[in-house]
Amino acid sequence: MLELSGVCARAGAFQLKDISLSVAAGESHVLLGPSGAGKSTLLEVIIGLRPLAGGRVEFSDRDMVGVPAEKRGMGYLPQRLALFPHLSVRENIVYGPRSRHLKAAEYEPVVDALVEATGIGPLLDRRPDTLSGGERQRVALVRALAARPPLLLLDEPFSALNESLRHELWRLLKTLQAKYGFAILMITHDLSEGFFLGDHITVLIDGAIQQTGARDAVWRNPATVAIAEYLGIRNIFGGTVVGVESQAVVVDCPTLGTQLNVAVLPGTPQPVIGAVVSVGIRAEFVVLRDANHPPKEGEFVLEGQFSAVTVAGTDVTLVFEPDGKDLVLEIGVNRRLLRRFGVKVGQPVTVGLPRRDLLLFTS
Amino acid sequence: MRFRHICIVCALAVLAIYGLLIASLFYFFDGSTVLSALGSRRVLFSIQVSLVAATVATGLALVLAVPAAYALSRYRFRGREAVDAILEFPIIVSPAALGAIILIFFANPMGEWMQEHLLQFVFAFAGIVLAQFITVLGVAVRFMKTAFDQVPPRYETVARTLGASPSRAFFTIGLPLARRGLLASGVLTWAKALGEFGATITVAGTMAMRTETLPVAIFMRLSSADIEGTVALILVLVVIGLVALYAAKFLFRERRART
Repeated sequence: MLELSGVCARAGAFQLKDISLSVAAGESHVLLGPSGAGKSTLLEVIIGLRPLAGGRVEFSDRDMVGVPAEKRGMGYLPQRLALFPHLSVRENIVYGPRSRHLKAAEYEPVVDALVEATGIGPLLDRRPDTLSGGERQRVALVRALAARPPLLLLDEPFSALNESLRHELWRLLKTLQAKYGFAILMITHDLSEGFFLGDHITVLIDGAIQQTGARDAVWRNPATVAIAEYLGIRNIFGGTVVGVESQAVVVDCPTLGTQLNVAVLPGTPQPVIGAVVSVGIRAEFVVLRDANHPPKEGEFVLEGQFSAVTVAGTDVTLVFEPDGKDLVLEIGVNRRLLRRFGVKVGQPVTVGLPRRDLLLFTS
Repeated sequence: MRFRHICIVCALAVLAIYGLLIASLFYFFDGSTVLSALGSRRVLFSIQVSLVAATVATGLALVLAVPAAYALSRYRFRGREAVDAILEFPIIVSPAALGAIILIFFANPMGEWMQEHLLQFVFAFAGIVLAQFITVLGVAVRFMKTAFDQVPPRYETVARTLGASPSRAFFTIGLPLARRGLLASGVLTWAKALGEFGATITVAGTMAMRTETLPVAIFMRLSSADIEGTVALILVLVVIGLVALYAAKFLFRERRART
């Protein structure tokens, strides 16, 4: 449906470099990246608000070069919504279909169904400045979908909302997508939003695609240390490959003071002996061990103590300092686990790094 | 004295300066002279010429100023900086010099051809309109650009992504959202055209019952040492001008309250 090949664009001194990606019909594709990565610039290129400096944009098998924004037929939900303040909610919603010269008989049933699905019926005669944040989001969503675009582009539209409202709107978006079958290309810097909504994830950093793939694959196996750090993995240790096995390598990690046997993903190049690599593990995959929960075979075990406990809602991060080693490890647990182990700062504890959860970064 | 008080005193000083000047008119105020002036055919003609010429000149200026201001506010194009800089040309050149420039233009072959085949401007009503149009055009564009600048371009951008052509986005979104600012700009432009003197007298002259506008009539009365008559006409001009300016101020205030 949407095909980008070698897209280059400029925004002042910033450059988008050789962006190639595709969004299939009905797919939900999320572009993740930190602020300043070029996400909005890329979206502006796709929607036709910024010229291409190179490459191609194809939409529904049509080359989009020279096609103005109003003729591209894509839906667009910008970060600041831009509901027209001088028009009523109803006038805002039908603005798109009327601009596209659709007949009332064509768009009214769609608009009615969208209004019902989003529960904005009682708001139709109100002005945008009288609506709450959540109501505005719903109206903007219906407005973007009223002309039944096959592709909806979203530019971090939910970033200013509170957590519960965001979750509610994510579910609403999923419901509407399932009902109407439009594809989504959404940009966000919010990992939970990206991994909730995206079937396919593309990570954009410094104007270039760093990794693209199915949601679970990207989450499980970040391609580089930079992506891993962006995805919130902070337990990363440098090392050198000292042994090579079938689909695995032995990495000597001086900071951990041991050698770890780490699996090499199928299809990825096998590092050679002497290669400098990094090994990482997600905080939530580091396990607490005690007499009732002894370490499993192949698990690397560290003895030490907690130096800090950070509680954020139901998530708890424990800062672990292994005995005699100059490193800090983060451990992600929930409140139930915290109670079960009776964790206290300064208390001696044993933690395990399961082999299957170790990540290898060769770049 | 605190900084706040100093600023407020300065603001009140502005009012006092202009207020004192207006109040001084009443030293020579004579009700019967005002009534007789308002009953004079010559004065009524001056008022009529002034109102019609200012309205036509403002209308013509708006036809060019609205799209030009929109272009300056929304688009980046070659020559944009030059256009922006030339807007102050009528302000930095004195009105009399501006009138002289217009006269010189009509003395060259192209201007002569226009006068012969299109319309007589020099010493004619069209000359008043032209002088006022030239004087207010730059200011009108500047005022209107400010009005468009106050509307975030994202509204028109979103309109375009919804399928609106640039012209539809302008007429249905940009223009309505800027309407109060544009209206206020129009009123200020009209008030400036109404009070225009230097360029008008240079281009159109001072022919009674032909090209005598209200400011020109004031000048003529003053030249003949008719102080009471001058005061009467000034008061008429002040009343018309103040009504227009208060209307503009009210519209600006409404806009600020809304946004």
